Amino acid sequence: MKNILISFCATAALFIMFSCHDRLDRPAENRTFEEAIDYSNTSEMDAPLIGAYAAFQSRGWEQFPLISVRGDDVNNGGLGDQQPFADTDKFRYDKGYWMYNSLWQTMYSDIIDGNAAKEQIDLYAEQATGSNPAAQYKAEIDVLNAYLLFNIARVWSDVFIPETSNPSDLLTAEVKPKTEVMQYIADQMNAAIPLLPDMRPNQRTDLPGGVTKHTALAVKALANLELENYQGVADATSQIINSGLFKLYPDYYQLFKKPGELSDENLLQFQYSDFDQGTGTQITYLTAFFGPQKWEPKVEGINGGWGFYEPSLKYIKFMLDRGDRERLVTSVLFTPRGIEEIKKDPNYADLPDWVSNETPSGDVILDYARALFASGKHYLPSDQITPGRKSWANAQNMKVIRYAEILLMHAEALTRGATSTAITADAAVNLVRERAGMTPLSGVTSAQVLDEKLAELGMEWGIRYYDMLRTENYDELSYGGRDFSADKAYLPYPQAQVDVLPGLSK
Amino acid sequence: MKPKRFLPFFFIGFFFWILTPSLLAQDEITYTGQVTAGDSGEPLIGVNILILRTGSGTQTDFDGNYELVAQPGDSIQISYIGYDPILYQLGVETQLDFSMESGNQMLEEIIVVGYGTQKQKDLTSSITTVSSEEIMKTPTGQAMQSLQGKVAGMQIVSSGAPGSAPQVRVRGIGSYPGGNNEAPLYVVDGMFFDNIDFLNTSDIATISVLKDASAAAIYGVRAANGVVLIETKSGRQDQPAQITYNGYYGVQVANNVMKMANSQQFTQIISELDPDRFPDYQFILNAMQRYGRSRVDPNIPDVNTDWYSKIIRPAPIQNHSINVTGGGSSATYALGANFFGQDGILDMKNEYQRFNLRSKVDYQALDWLNLGGNMILSNGTKYSPENTAWFRAYLAVPILPVLDEQIPNAFPDPYASAQYLGYRGGQNPFPAMEYNDNKEKIRKLLANFYVEVDLIPDKLSFKTTYNHNFTALDLRNVDLPYFSSPGFQNPDAGIRRTWSTFSNQIWDNILTFKDQYGAHGLTIMGGASYRDEAYSQLGASARNFPTDREEAWYIDQAETIVVDAVGDGGSHQYGMSYFGRLSYNFDHKYLLYGTFRADGSSKYQQKWGYFPTVGAGWVLSQEDFFDVAGIDYLKLRGSWGELGNDNIQASDGARTTQVVNTVFGGQMVPGTQTSNVFSSLRWEVVEELNFGLTANLMDSRMTVDADYYTRDTKNAAIRVGIPLIGGTVLRNVGVIRNAGFELALNWTDKISDDWNYQIGGNISTLKNEVRDLFGQPYIDGGSAEFRQRSIVGQPVLAFFGREVTGVYQNQSEIEADPIAKDNNLEPGDLKFKDQNGDGVMDGEDRVILGSYFPDLMYGFNLGMSFRSFNLSANFIGQSGNSILNRKRGEYIFTNDTNLDADLAVNRWHGEGTSDKYPSANGLRKGWNQSLSDYYIEDGSFFRIQNVTLSYTVPGTTLLGGNFPETTLTLTADRPVTIFDYNGFNPEVADGIDRQTYPIPSVYTVGLNVKF
Repeated sequence: MKNILISFCATAALFIMFSCHDRLDRPAENRTFEEAIDYSNTSEMDAPLIGAYAAFQSRGWEQFPLISVRGDDVNNGGLGDQQPFADTDKFRYDKGYWMYNSLWQTMYSDIIDGNAAKEQIDLYAEQATGSNPAAQYKAEIDVLNAYLLFNIARVWSDVFIPETSNPSDLLTAEVKPKTEVMQYIADQMNAAIPLLPDMRPNQRTDLPGGVTKHTALAVKALANLELENYQGVADATSQIINSGLFKLYPDYYQLFKKPGELSDENLLQFQYSDFDQGTGTQITYLTAFFGPQKWEPKVEGINGGWGFYEPSLKYIKFMLDRGDRERLVTSVLFTPRGIEEIKKDPNYADLPDWVSNETPSGDVILDYARALFASGKHYLPSDQITPGRKSWANAQNMKVIRYAEILLMHAEALTRGATSTAITADAAVNLVRERAGMTPLSGVTSAQVLDEKLAELGMEWGIRYYDMLRTENYDELSYGGRDFSADKAYLPYPQAQVDVLPGLSK
Repeated sequence: MKPKRFLPFFFIGFFFWILTPSLLAQDEITYTGQVTAGDSGEPLIGVNILILRTGSGTQTDFDGNYELVAQPGDSIQISYIGYDPILYQLGVETQLDFSMESGNQMLEEIIVVGYGTQKQKDLTSSITTVSSEEIMKTPTGQAMQSLQGKVAGMQIVSSGAPGSAPQVRVRGIGSYPGGNNEAPLYVVDGMFFDNIDFLNTSDIATISVLKDASAAAIYGVRAANGVVLIETKSGRQDQPAQITYNGYYGVQVANNVMKMANSQQFTQIISELDPDRFPDYQFILNAMQRYGRSRVDPNIPDVNTDWYSKIIRPAPIQNHSINVTGGGSSATYALGANFFGQDGILDMKNEYQRFNLRSKVDYQALDWLNLGGNMILSNGTKYSPENTAWFRAYLAVPILPVLDEQIPNAFPDPYASAQYLGYRGGQNPFPAMEYNDNKEKIRKLLANFYVEVDLIPDKLSFKTTYNHNFTALDLRNVDLPYFSSPGFQNPDAGIRRTWSTFSNQIWDNILTFKDQYGAHGLTIMGGASYRDEAYSQLGASARNFPTDREEAWYIDQAETIVVDAVGDGGSHQYGMSYFGRLSYNFDHKYLLYGTFRADGSSKYQQKWGYFPTVGAGWVLSQEDFFDVAGIDYLKLRGSWGELGNDNIQASDGARTTQVVNTVFGGQMVPGTQTSNVFSSLRWEVVEELNFGLTANLMDSRMTVDADYYTRDTKNAAIRVGIPLIGGTVLRNVGVIRNAGFELALNWTDKISDDWNYQIGGNISTLKNEVRDLFGQPYIDGGSAEFRQRSIVGQPVLAFFGREVTGVYQNQSEIEADPIAKDNNLEPGDLKFKDQNGDGVMDGEDRVILGSYFPDLMYGFNLGMSFRSFNLSANFIGQSGNSILNRKRGEYIFTNDTNLDADLAVNRWHGEGTSDKYPSANGLRKGWNQSLSDYYIEDGSFFRIQNVTLSYTVPGTTLLGGNFPETTLTLTADRPVTIFDYNGFNPEVADGIDRQTYPIPSVYTVGLNVKF
């Protein structure tokens, strides 16, 4: 009895145990493996493309300020806090500062993500029968990547060009000189242009605001401008102008507010939204960085910001000198203390009454210790913020490339001897001036175009700083106690990157 | 604090106490006799004679004579230091003499070795066993906490937060830190656990730490970080029911509370700032305007908040257990109930309560068939602390009050906000503490059943065991709305609930053969084990629900369910293992030992791993030629083995894709992102060599255990920084070595009949070293600002930065130093050492600044008993480890903050004032913020770990009833800690102190009653 029972149980136990072996081969749960994606379903080919846009538009708050802060249009603000950021504004660099590394990493990370998305699109394309949008999608990603790489090269000069989705490939790579990077961008854009839709971004019905042929042309123009290949600039901008698709948004103030979102002036922008809901999910940029610390919004309860990013006195006086009212009140939010500071200069003791701490929308900016002024281009009137939302400039879109910049690049190229198939330098500049309520000029010079760029594009993307670098106008950068020299043009590579990438030590 | 609800447990205890005297009454007779030493025939004085049934007993007198009142049939235990104990069942004979053999009970002790037992004297490996009495000295809900300082080579880093388990490291770290993969394997009565935070300490009979590979290898792929075996208490055969109440009540008090700068010091520092760069003095003026000026000093605001003292409270801790154990001729049982309650010292709803029930029954059904079952039900509720409060209290400026009645529309309480003073954030830690409620229900059921069949009586047996651990976690995080200032508010009530279940099963089948052929002793064990580990989780969030009543805190009651926040996750992993053990001894003189385990796992691409070990021992003292006076027993042992660690995350092995959303034209559009970097992992393999000796000296009054080991983690999974884009990915790319020497000494003796004493100590060294990184010179860890670097030949994740040589004192010193000139330095800035002497301060001038591993740990204890009084004291300490004072590092990200008092007082503020700390201006400069030994501090400490004084009233007859044996205990746990570090406590597991929950001192009164 005992033995039979034991033998029976032992046999059963052994049998059950061995049958467990095949469970070792079960794959991990709750994961979507690449193999599980049905690449023959080409209607899903846009998923990796949208993922690349998501990476492109999702930007840390510190990236825009670091790219933009060194120009004479804007100062660091945020007095007392983020001292290395303030030092950066004064051309004293610290390669260990976290912002440098963060900007480098996230920009490159998005490029790598873009490359990975292109590889995914290829996998769909292999399975596709008949015509498919793979080539266009990949070209779109090339444009997004090109713009990121363009900024990296502007900030650091000689940088890596990642061409695959594997960052380890760069362990053995060497950095490319800035000119080579810019030429690479221009070449990439040449290849992308024929593959992209010939329309305005806001005309796209699949992805409104997405990249079009003209975005690629704009990036090409930007790269050529850095290369001082002015004919290249003129050619690319001429094509955009000749398309007749773009026009300046009539209200310069509202261009930067909600009404100006996805207007006919935009060639590239970061799109954010709270989906018009007072609560719940929203996709935004952390705009608090720009806001004044104290204000009295027309609609109560909306938060101020951290008080960084202060338009410079130099910029304000420049604008006052020109009588450039609309663009000044759009670009600058004044505090009472700031207005007093302007008046300390006897030449500006009497200010027009439109220099006020009340914005055109009726919000009142108050004094705070950290800065005298705030950027008006990074401000939404409190009555434009979706009720229920409390953050400064909540879900404001960020302009990246505007038609006004195209016109002014075009004009500058012509003043430097390039020839145009579109319009004259005077015509281009005057289009911009007219919208801002300024009188037309004739026979514009390069210097006048650069002034116009400062007036029109101040606070935007460090455009002013890189113009001054390109034209070696270093005196302009040596203002307010700053001492600029050519060796301070670029940031040092972040220490964390030097430690891990041998190519940066050479 | 609501002590009221705990009172019932005291009443229950007293109820039992009063009830029992009448339960037991039978005819008793008096036994007499003499106890002598077997070798000399001399009478033994003070021999303990214990009646197992009652727990009471007597001692022999000066002539070795005793007199004992007991019932016939009672079992007695006769014990004396240095002699083997005797168990004897009383009969009708009343004159009984006993002769005791000098020997060592320690050597005969049965040691649990995993899937079996061994006698201590046959061990070839390094195992430390801690008994129930030692464990229960520490008033804690975490059993592992009580092992601190008691096991050589084991580092326990405790946590002050109620209900959170301490970090445990056995012999350094085998695995690269940071992946939750350093913890040892816990085996509770055969079931595997990642921690034992649910166990009641008084249910534990023994905790055995299997330290070396030879001991742990039987657990194969789970054993690389050491194995801790826990046996719960069982009943004994032929033991009448013994009811024991055990409990304590006490208070926890924060110790070494950090001193921060007060308003006066803070104002002084701010006034030293360069007003052109830093407008902070304006904030002081704002505070004076808002809150008035101090009457003592009109230049400082009339507010002086010591934030730490505001957020800390004394908190109660208590534990009550009732256990019933006993057994008949064929069955034994142990039943118990336990309540543990602990409030946190953070002044918010922060507490842990646990109610445990357990039963353990073993039954000999037939002469060849044993069965048994063991169940532990644990029902815990934990309110987690808002750990950010510790950090915020460090940062919050002292010129901010807790409450500010001037705030318009403040809701629900007028908590002050620093934004009104001009600061960027609200700073006040109270809203986070008051308006967060983090409740977790932790329910665990551990069930374990076995059947054991004797196939050949006393030789061959088969045992099948099924274990199931079912855990259900129900987490509810609630954020309540409040308003202090526009940037310091939470407009919406939020709730998030997460339900997780873990169902882990193990089925073991084991065949054991044991025989003795003359002097040859042989044990062979073979077995198979199947593991099934399933986990699932569901979470959802909602906003805006009725907040005034906790009963309404449900997602169903909310206005909005956050659709995107619904998450469902899970995993299911399987394991299949075969293992065997052979242990052989010749005359208990030559010992051989070997185990082998083949482990299969579904977790990795690599399915099977094989883990062998061999050990050998030589008992020199058994040899005829060995005759050294004073040495009673001496064993040399050595072992080699391989262990695995599969506790590192499952690898993806392939690219994975995730869904992301972005915006086009004001609409949310979903897309996918494919991760281009993925892990492809194997389990880690640890190879360990251990040499040791065990000795008993001076008539076994002294025991010595010494071990030297080297432990190499091959293909260690290391987080490798991804070039260019940051982030990390786990790769098997290194060899890490831990090596150390461990020594444990114990001395037990008596001065007189009344005076016994015992002294013990242990010391262990640790050298952690990266041996190889597969061709790379180093791998970076930490963050870009606080770099930690693993360099071949150096400890893992050593702090890596600049070396401070002083502070620039004056302008002429700056002028004389080209480095200072180049970097626009001012007096009051730190002076760094130009390591390579190239006249430039850059990344090449960084060196290793310290490691967070202590290179020396020690513990010692003293025990003394005088009649019924018993005093014990434990001391622990460590040295050689560094701590990154990350709290000070926060200045890099925001300097809207207060400073600690040490920094405030010792800052540079003029020539000759400091050679250590920068000036107020300097603190805000990038130059001084680069990682240097300004941030790295010595983590050495010495602590009085535990002092326990107890008084025992022996069981006696009182007023016609039996008065039970009662012990009253006073305990001071961790009353004093001595250290230099500028923080609450130097116990920081990973060496980075940002918001460590302070570890309180605990003072308790305890009561133990044996009915």
